[in-house]
Amino acid sequence: MRRSEIRKQLRIRARNIIVQRDRRFFVNIEKKDLKRAIRRLMQMKNYTHLSTITALDVGSMIEVIYHVAFTDALVSVKVQTSKDEPIIPSIVDLIPGVALYEREIHDLFGVEFEGNPDLSPLLLPDGWPEGVYPLRKWWSVDRVLSKLGGKR
Amino acid sequence: MTFEIPFGPQHPALEEPINFMFEIEEERVVNVKPRLGYVHRGIEKIAENRNYQQLVYLSERICGICSFAHALCYSQVVEELLDLKIPERAKFIRTIVAEMERIQNHYLWLGLTAKEMGFETLFMYAWRDRETIIEMLDMISGKRVNYGMSTIGGVRRDIPEPMIKRMEESLNHLEARAEYYTKVCTKDPSILKRTVGIGILRPREARALCAVGPTARASGIPRDVRADEPYAAYGEIPFKVVTYRGCDVASRMYVRIDEIKESIKIIRYALKNMPEGPIRVKAPMRVPEGEAISRVEAPRGENLHFLKSNGTDKPERWKIRAPTLANLLSLCRMLMGVNLADIPVVIAGIDPCIACAERIALIDAKTKKLKVWEGKDLWRYANEWYRKRYGL
Repeated sequence: MRRSEIRKQLRIRARNIIVQRDRRFFVNIEKKDLKRAIRRLMQMKNYTHLSTITALDVGSMIEVIYHVAFTDALVSVKVQTSKDEPIIPSIVDLIPGVALYEREIHDLFGVEFEGNPDLSPLLLPDGWPEGVYPLRKWWSVDRVLSKLGGKR
Repeated sequence: MTFEIPFGPQHPALEEPINFMFEIEEERVVNVKPRLGYVHRGIEKIAENRNYQQLVYLSERICGICSFAHALCYSQVVEELLDLKIPERAKFIRTIVAEMERIQNHYLWLGLTAKEMGFETLFMYAWRDRETIIEMLDMISGKRVNYGMSTIGGVRRDIPEPMIKRMEESLNHLEARAEYYTKVCTKDPSILKRTVGIGILRPREARALCAVGPTARASGIPRDVRADEPYAAYGEIPFKVVTYRGCDVASRMYVRIDEIKESIKIIRYALKNMPEGPIRVKAPMRVPEGEAISRVEAPRGENLHFLKSNGTDKPERWKIRAPTLANLLSLCRMLMGVNLADIPVVIAGIDPCIACAERIALIDAKTKKLKVWEGKDLWRYANEWYRKRYGL
């Protein structure tokens, strides 16, 4: 796969596509374009599946990365959402297989996936306090422990 | 009448406890909901407070059975960030150990699935043969599990000439046994009755649900990271991606048995063509800022590690996606419409290590009366059901 193919398919600027090495592409897009971008990537030849969704804490924003696998490349689509209002459109209607990944991120980062019908807890135990998102940087191990009333 | 059956999370024999809430009509499953998290150890959070060298050990302890696949995936992702070129010989040793782990895992799986079917002899046979490969891993690495072989910059131990001789002998034995299992699993009427046409996952569904590994390959999808994105020495070794079109538990069994044979061929080729030279290079403690992704074909399917570094000796974020999570939704799809008696075999089919359910509770939807079943009861129920029906 080449950069120009992704650029043509997604109709975005070349500077938003980062070629990290052979077979590795990172694509930065806006939140509102996410569904369209994923749909267009799925139409490309050699598309196999969506490997997983990664979320990470980048200061005031939460970055969500969709790893779309092809037989000859891995395209990682990046979107950002603010921590105050972490809402991202769900792509579960396009790819039913992402349901658990979205639930996982909802648990650990508190990102709301608009359109996912089931965002019930997947990993965290029943009775987990509301508003504690363990993988956000602010929630250090000590803070989580004191919130839960436990000791190290 | 619809019953709701919570299945799991406790089961003593295996790792990865999980809970399934089954809705049952008569004896058919009409709905399944998975619930994870009973062994969520917060490894991704712990990783933010450990340095890169310590994480090699942590990565190996993500899973007890695919430990090498995780350590390899982690080592590769750090090497990519460090821009480290690892020696050719290390690549071959990594390939050999990864394939040995695959053989070990598939024999384990075959035994467990046989046990779920009530076929104790095959269970004993498969686990006895697994011992052969475990002994070889013990010989190379000094450990039966969590081999500690992969490290950042190469591998920790070499495979010298006398070991190669011994390995060749045991590979011959394992190959003969794999042939025997093909014969048993394609001919034995009780295995066929319990597996053929059970737990169907159609190719279209497998694609939509992003199935990986043998689960996808048994639905006719040739999805294999070793072929799609060669890592270690896979680019230099000829092998074929095994696929079957049956879409059922039987196909998942045949895929795994054929993969054992294929792995034996890969190991033989790698042992023969392994170049001489060093086995590791020194890696610095600090990792420059950047992001990298590494994928590895673990015995159960695609394994993905994402790593973001911030220039210190600790990672900013380390994301792990193990194959079982990718296959869980496919498993739920397979379970729809199956008979209560087939649940253990179908769950065993994706190799999630949750086949041995400790207890099962039947709730009558009308009276809310709770009836708790031990895993043994379900097992007994399943085998009785088949005995009555088919006289097996």
